[in-house]
Amino acid sequence: MKKFLFSAPLKERTLFLLSWASPVIIVFLWETYCRFGLIGPEILPPPSTVLLAAITLTKNGALLPDLGVSLTRAATGWCIGASIGFLLGLIVGFSSIAKAVLDRSIQMLRAVPFLALLPLVIVWFGVGEGQKIFLVALGVSFPVYINTTLGIRQLDPKLLEMGSTQRLTTYETIRRIIFPGALPSILMGVRYSLATAWLALVIAETIGASAGIGFLALDAREFLQTDVIVLTIVIYAVIGVCADAVARFLERRLLAWHPNYAPKGC
Amino acid sequence: MEIPGGEQQTPAVVAVQGLVRTYGPKVVLNKLHLRIRKGEFVALLGESGCGKTTLLRVLAGLDPIQGGTIQTSGTLAVVFQEHRLLPWENLWRNVSLGLRCGPAKEKAAKALEEVGLGDRLDDWPRNLSGGQAQRVAIARALVQEPALLLLDEPFASLDALTRIKMHKLLLSLIAAHKPGVLLVTHDVLESIVLADRILIMRDGCIVKEYVVNDYADKRTVQVDVFEALGFAGGGSPY
Ligand SMILES: Nc1ncnc2c1ncn2[C@@H]1O[C@H](COP(=O)(O)OP(=O)(O)O)[C@@H](O)[C@H]1O
Ligand SMILES: [Mg+2]
Repeated sequence: MKKFLFSAPLKERTLFLLSWASPVIIVFLWETYCRFGLIGPEILPPPSTVLLAAITLTKNGALLPDLGVSLTRAATGWCIGASIGFLLGLIVGFSSIAKAVLDRSIQMLRAVPFLALLPLVIVWFGVGEGQKIFLVALGVSFPVYINTTLGIRQLDPKLLEMGSTQRLTTYETIRRIIFPGALPSILMGVRYSLATAWLALVIAETIGASAGIGFLALDAREFLQTDVIVLTIVIYAVIGVCADAVARFLERRLLAWHPNYAPKGC
Repeated sequence: MEIPGGEQQTPAVVAVQGLVRTYGPKVVLNKLHLRIRKGEFVALLGESGCGKTTLLRVLAGLDPIQGGTIQTSGTLAVVFQEHRLLPWENLWRNVSLGLRCGPAKEKAAKALEEVGLGDRLDDWPRNLSGGQAQRVAIARALVQEPALLLLDEPFASLDALTRIKMHKLLLSLIAAHKPGVLLVTHDVLESIVLADRILIMRDGCIVKEYVVNDYADKRTVQVDVFEALGFAGGGSPY
């Protein structure tokens, strides 16, 4: 019994360490291959050089402001897109009239890969901030919209009936049944939208920017600074991972009741 | 037609006259009459598909009716066959659902205490057994202090032993709160153990009624009820 109690967390820790082992090994191999000249620095600089580039750029004050600019764009675009998607999702989820009026058009728009709209967006907004924020917002709004309507539509009607026999007001029904019931789906949309936000930003910034991580990459391309280019890729990756971690954290916090997200042994 | 249970002197918690409910061309409730007095425990028996759930849903205001009248006095609470607890709320929040006046948590805690789950206030519904979940559902209904409690086969999915415990619990709760009760069941013994009056439903009407206390020996009620359900002779299908 005692052994069992202690072995459970230990096993989890082992799995956790194991999950980090392969990335570490890959970075290690990458470094050794570069050191022994198997990969030329103009193709792929070793991780240590990339790290050095990060330190240099941070010290001379080039990196952080650009990072700030990119994050601000992503955050602004995400907030706008998520609000629009969520509101439309709520309206369409609740009202069958709104669904009849809006849903088909939105689904048709969604069928267009939003990056295909890029030339049009550039014509509308130029290559300024507007174009980037618009593109992010556009990419974000669809997954949030779809998962919000889905969450509301998948609600168990039996629970709504129960709410009505308990004489809940409309507000109480939304707050205690509809919203929490749709939340797993909504959060899935949020998680997905963070990924699209990031993708949209990378594309938008590569089209033309005078600041931001994408600008850094473009600038580095001009001078064949592969270390900076790789650094920007790593930064995009790290921020993507962080965004996903935030979404997972939200899921764990808000969906503690859900068997799929329940803390172990509870 | 005489209204079953129509002893007019005691006030009724629900009085139903000429109730009609149809699904398309199918008439499910056909000019049904029903009257349940204050504090009375009525069991409704009938074969599957005869319209018991439909009657209960109509009384609960979940479905519209196509004819007749329903008069109710006081609050009404429902326990369904499934517990219908909100998986995202802990037990006391589930029980307090719909409570508006007074200290909700204390009331919920007291109700959970009554059903023997006073130590599980902050637990999630998913950690409950079927019987425990149904007890929470009963607590959630009773905390509303209903004048009429509607129960739709609430114990049907429980094992036999749990069901017997639930019968005892329900009787003690009813004795404490004294709501009128309409219990839909397909279990003849359950109806005899629990109810004051047993109604037999067929073809969308109540066709027979038995007052349990009229019988000196409860086994004779059983014989009559089984006969009314179509198992003549043996008194029991077994
Ligand atoms: N939503 C529905 N649409 C059409 N017919 C229904 C619906 N619900 C119930 N019925 C019909 O009404 C009849 C009574 O059903 P119900 O009240 O559930 O019976 P039970 O006595 O077993 O609870 C059944 O014949 C069933 O087919
Ligand atoms: Mg039924």
